[in-house]
Amino acid sequence: MYRIQVQEFEGPLDLLLFFIRRDELDIFDIPIAQIADEYLAYVRVMEQVDLDGVADFIYMAALLINIKVRMLLPRPELDEDGEPIDPRRELVERLLEYIRYKEAAEGLDVIHQQRANLFTRGGASSQEEQFFYETPETLVNTTLFDLISALRRVLTEAPETPILELAPAEYTIEGQRAYVLEQLARRGRVAFVDLARHGHKGFIISTFLAILEMAQRGIVWLTSTETADDFYVQRVQDKPEVTNGALSHGN
Amino acid sequence: MEVPNLHDESIHDTDDRAEELARAVEALIFAADEPISADQIAEVFAEITREARPSTPQIQETVDRLNAQYEQQGGAIRIQAWAGGFRMSTSDEVAPYLKAFFRHDRQRRLTRSLMETLAILTYKQPTTKPEIDYVRGVDSDYALRRLLDLGLIDVVGRSDSVGRPLLYGTTPHFLETFGLSNLDGLPNLREIEELLNDPAFNKERARLLMLKGLDTPPPSEAPDGET
Repeated sequence: MYRIQVQEFEGPLDLLLFFIRRDELDIFDIPIAQIADEYLAYVRVMEQVDLDGVADFIYMAALLINIKVRMLLPRPELDEDGEPIDPRRELVERLLEYIRYKEAAEGLDVIHQQRANLFTRGGASSQEEQFFYETPETLVNTTLFDLISALRRVLTEAPETPILELAPAEYTIEGQRAYVLEQLARRGRVAFVDLARHGHKGFIISTFLAILEMAQRGIVWLTSTETADDFYVQRVQDKPEVTNGALSHGN
Repeated sequence: MEVPNLHDESIHDTDDRAEELARAVEALIFAADEPISADQIAEVFAEITREARPSTPQIQETVDRLNAQYEQQGGAIRIQAWAGGFRMSTSDEVAPYLKAFFRHDRQRRLTRSLMETLAILTYKQPTTKPEIDYVRGVDSDYALRRLLDLGLIDVVGRSDSVGRPLLYGTTPHFLETFGLSNLDGLPNLREIEELLNDPAFNKERARLLMLKGLDTPPPSEAPDGET
């Protein structure tokens, strides 16, 4: 297994700023040729791993090349007053503007964290209970949409890992099937959100696929509540007397 | 904090009224599920007591006094001025207990991209998606949708520019989430000149290059050999 450690950048400006800070470059005298090459090398790696995110970076690459070319022109471009224009000027202005808001974001994060230390009444008191006990609720048929929205919910809550894996997945469907069955044996009916709790994306997705597979084979039975974007999993042999057909029957 | 002397005999009536107001203020803020404004409190108080409406400063003063009392008694509750109103919260000191208890709660930090988008939007509001995209250099579609879902931002109108793009602004929920009474409470957005004066930047160098590069007012002592 090998890993490529790629620091996550919010965007092309962030990446440029990283190069500038790392090499302690003067922001008003950016060595465009050098930066452009480094930038392109990074974008090539990105193309391998994240085609979706790369579009914004390619635009900046084009801009850098454009500036590089303009700097090679024998006669500098002139503005209305006949003064030479530095082709890097617009880029520098954008970088400075970006730095301002990056700093502002850090400032917001600080007050957000301070606020997070203060707790108000309401809402949260039921959280703890919900984790340990299940309140009686109406069981309804689980639709595919319920399953997807439950998956989406846990995925959006899963911690993002900045390490990009190019190796076989850590979790296999077989492994997760064993994990789910073991959980079911211990706890009877289990909520998907609890099964996926604290896991990373790979874990959650494998678990989800394992559950789908077992549902298809009729090993487990899926139910959901009318409101929550979550669903419950239980062994078919433990199935209570409910007369609706669930996903496990394959209709 | 100056607490008015409540036992001065000459202001006995005012005294009773102040205590009654304090009780009402405390009760209303305690029971409300969201920040409750001084106006709302004043209205209810006037309706029930059939007396003149207490002024906003009076209510603020009452809140300050209650907070001073809580602090004096070493209480765990404080009244906060959030989103243009008042809301009770626990104090900073007891945070470890609550954090342990609500361990499974959904309160998470915003990701960097959400925070960045939110910062640009907050300081530029009302603003459009193209403006935000330009500052960030990336498409902010997903970030904006997440922020809308979280109730931190909302559509506040349409811009008059080409294509009449939607204008976004922050919500009262944003103020509450970030512990702000209003937008004036936001940390300052530093000007570019300020950033450049930061020791992090090579000051002299930056100034010199400013002359060449950007349209900022040039420093008075123009360097030699510039022309």
